[in-house]
Amino acid sequence: MKIIIAGAGEVGTHLAKMLSVENHDITVIDPVADNLKGIDSSLDLLTITGSATSFEVLKEAKVKRTDLFIAVAHSEETNITAAIFAKNLGAKRTIARVDNNEYIEPENISHFISLGIDYLIYPERIASREIVHLLGQAEISEYVDFSGGKLSLYVLKLGENAPVIDRTLIDVIKENKEIEFRAVAITRNGETIIPRGHDYFQVNDLVYVVTNKSGIRDVLKYSGKKKLDIKDVMILGGSRIGKRTAKSLEGRFNIKLIEIDKLKSAKLAEDLTNVLVINGDGRNIDLLVEEGLPNMDTFIAVTGNSEVNILSCMLAKRMGVKKTIAEVENIDYIDLAENMGIDTIINKKLVTASRIFTFTMNSKVESMKCLTGSDAEVLEFVAKPDSRITRGRLRDIEFPKDAIVGGIVRKDKGIIAKGDTHIKAYDRVVVFALPSAVKKMDNFFN
Amino acid sequence: MINKKIIIQVLGLLLIIEGVFITLSFFVSLYFNQYDQFALGITALICIVLGVLIRFTTKKASKSISKRDGYIIVSLVWIVFSVFGALPFVISGAIPSYTDAFFETISGFTTTGASILNDIEAMPYGLLFWRSLTQWLGGMGIIVLSLAILPVLGIGGMQLFVAEVPGPTPDKLHPRIKETAKRLWIIYIGFTFAETILLKIGGMTWFDAINHSFTTMATGGYSTKQASIAHFQSPFIHYVIIFFMFLAGTNFTLSYYALHFKLGKVFRNEEFRYYVGFILLYTVLIAGVLMYFHEFSLEQSFRDSLFQVVSIITTTGYATADYLLWLPFITVMIFSLMFFGGSAGSTGGSIKIMRVTLLLKNSYQELKRIIHPNAVIPVRMNKKAVPQQIITNILAFVVIYMLITIIGTIVISSLGYDLDTSVGAVAATIGNIGPGIGGVGPVENYAHFPVFGKWFLSFLMLIGRLELFTVLILFSPAFWKK
Repeated sequence: MKIIIAGAGEVGTHLAKMLSVENHDITVIDPVADNLKGIDSSLDLLTITGSATSFEVLKEAKVKRTDLFIAVAHSEETNITAAIFAKNLGAKRTIARVDNNEYIEPENISHFISLGIDYLIYPERIASREIVHLLGQAEISEYVDFSGGKLSLYVLKLGENAPVIDRTLIDVIKENKEIEFRAVAITRNGETIIPRGHDYFQVNDLVYVVTNKSGIRDVLKYSGKKKLDIKDVMILGGSRIGKRTAKSLEGRFNIKLIEIDKLKSAKLAEDLTNVLVINGDGRNIDLLVEEGLPNMDTFIAVTGNSEVNILSCMLAKRMGVKKTIAEVENIDYIDLAENMGIDTIINKKLVTASRIFTFTMNSKVESMKCLTGSDAEVLEFVAKPDSRITRGRLRDIEFPKDAIVGGIVRKDKGIIAKGDTHIKAYDRVVVFALPSAVKKMDNFFN
Repeated sequence: MINKKIIIQVLGLLLIIEGVFITLSFFVSLYFNQYDQFALGITALICIVLGVLIRFTTKKASKSISKRDGYIIVSLVWIVFSVFGALPFVISGAIPSYTDAFFETISGFTTTGASILNDIEAMPYGLLFWRSLTQWLGGMGIIVLSLAILPVLGIGGMQLFVAEVPGPTPDKLHPRIKETAKRLWIIYIGFTFAETILLKIGGMTWFDAINHSFTTMATGGYSTKQASIAHFQSPFIHYVIIFFMFLAGTNFTLSYYALHFKLGKVFRNEEFRYYVGFILLYTVLIAGVLMYFHEFSLEQSFRDSLFQVVSIITTTGYATADYLLWLPFITVMIFSLMFFGGSAGSTGGSIKIMRVTLLLKNSYQELKRIIHPNAVIPVRMNKKAVPQQIITNILAFVVIYMLITIIGTIVISSLGYDLDTSVGAVAATIGNIGPGIGGVGPVENYAHFPVFGKWFLSFLMLIGRLELFTVLILFSPAFWKK
């Protein structure tokens, strides 16, 4: 697939990195040569220094023969203009990133489609939705539902009290014959492995488990997690993410929102009727304690500053808050933050990249999700008749070692995959794949 | 960290490729049925078996190739190829000394064309073919070849490409490096094929035509005849070779555009204009001298002058005449040409037109800067300002190049050679040209150098082909610091 990425900012760079290992022809455009230097020398792609809204530059990038044009520059005006130009010059599909909630209201989207922009993406909204979604299962770090929740991927951090610590997969299976979950991966010290029967679980492991509804109880039991009921939520930072999150949660929980800027606080208070907006500095411990931080069930730090978010979450953790969520925009910090005990990390770039990534996959992929704590991906496929995956039991078809089938949904029933599971045509298959394996999946499902 | 496993694996893989090409030469020797069959066959076997062994005995390494790994791999590949490529010459007994055989092979791979053979025509055909093939492979680059045909090198390929492709900034013809490499090789093969046909029409045998096409397109300069191109007294052949040497010294990206009928892009290219300009200037000057002082006919002086000028500026090193017999003025002119080289992104060696041009422009702007200390005066290339960083890099390149030439000259003269021969040999090897001046002129060869001299010159060829930095960086302490 020929892809042009306009804007080598953080989202653009991350996308370029993800897509370049997947055999796409990628051209990245950015007006600042220094932004391109890093990716030009380390990734297999073409870079063009110039403005994405220049016809000459777009022609040089061969926009005419482009399948997907992704405008993710800093300013939304540039993105919208570039996407319109690209479409007019012959790009098949265009995506523009915007910073304005109004644009993505359903009644306004048609204006953009008639201008030639196929899809608008608003990272802050995706991020806030992710936060709201994750609060639905607050005791685990991250989860993804497949086929309406018939199968789920749970991401759990193992604490010292988890019963599975220092035991192997085989031990767990021995104890429980009719097991309804499968551990598909472990992230340990920043590296993701697909565990085999003899691998041990360790403290601070991030474990990825595919489970169906009846397995959830066991998953929580083995990982030592207790069901969390949330009533009180504190949000630090009235950024766009903070505001949207507060807006979606208001009414369901008691929410306190702390914002440092006075004018902004006033505006937030005006817009959010059921939220207690507090004007103050989140770095001030006394203020947080006074506002009842120790009694909170959830603490969400979404200021524009990753360091403040991480530190305040650690503080909240120490005060006994059970669930902490931090927005960490610096990708290198994610691993660190996870190891320091923060329950869930949100990253705008990753969630945005995930969303855009689905556009580059073939149509047989039903859904896919990049995980925050690991560079692996979870994909949901529909097995085609006669595809390689249906030709035998899982252990016999030489499925790549860097990927694993977690489970399948057959006739509305979630089934956990085992070595002797035989996948049939039209099963929905949930696959956990390391980056090196994503390409190979085409072979098995086509 | 240096990823030793991946380095060894890549080398093993490339060794298999070398084995395949030696096998090709083996078939040529089978066809002509001469004594070199065994030597070529056994070497091919050694390369392939060793390569396969490495492939299957080393554990799977992580595929990430860092910048450092890239430099090590590229430098080592050229050495390993020469080490094994020299074996057929030694085993067959055609070149009994390993030093000589290694010199001949690395001179081939680096497209230098400096030979130690006193009687080329006595060599068996299979070995002659292998000798020309080394140049052809080295011309476009071993790495570029493997990028084009091997899927394995995908991700780290960029690091290798940057380390091998000549010129300050490599152009990409396609977003993906593999596709770029493929396109480059297709053009390269296409030109080689076209030249073979034309040389055959000009009256060469198929064998000579193929060999000469290989070494022309690589700007290598190995001939199957002792007298080089002077052996063929046909103006048609001379002009054909001039044309293809010229093409080989042009940026292959431009050839790609020309083949897609984007001629405007070619003629607007500044480096190309300077390249043509330098050639015309030197040709007219030398042709004038030949006509006036040596009383050559107009056509003869034009052809001889153009041939030698193009041959030296593109760093091919063919000869249709011995320029050392002409006026000393011409010898000096030719010598100065040795420091120009082909265009960036061509198969030519030496400093390269791009660098020479930018250097001249920068020097001129420097004068302006002295008069207007506060003026902002960019150096332009193709109407775009060239970043100061690139200018600095080029200045460093030229300084190091000259420094090595001077030190090399001192080293060679310490072996008992006069100034002409010493400086000629060094300039001709580091520039990957082949024939120099003095004792290494177009009708002489490198057989008379002592063992140390040959290894030293081999090293110069290698750093010349890989454009100094790739190899020299391995000798800097900063490279090995953790």
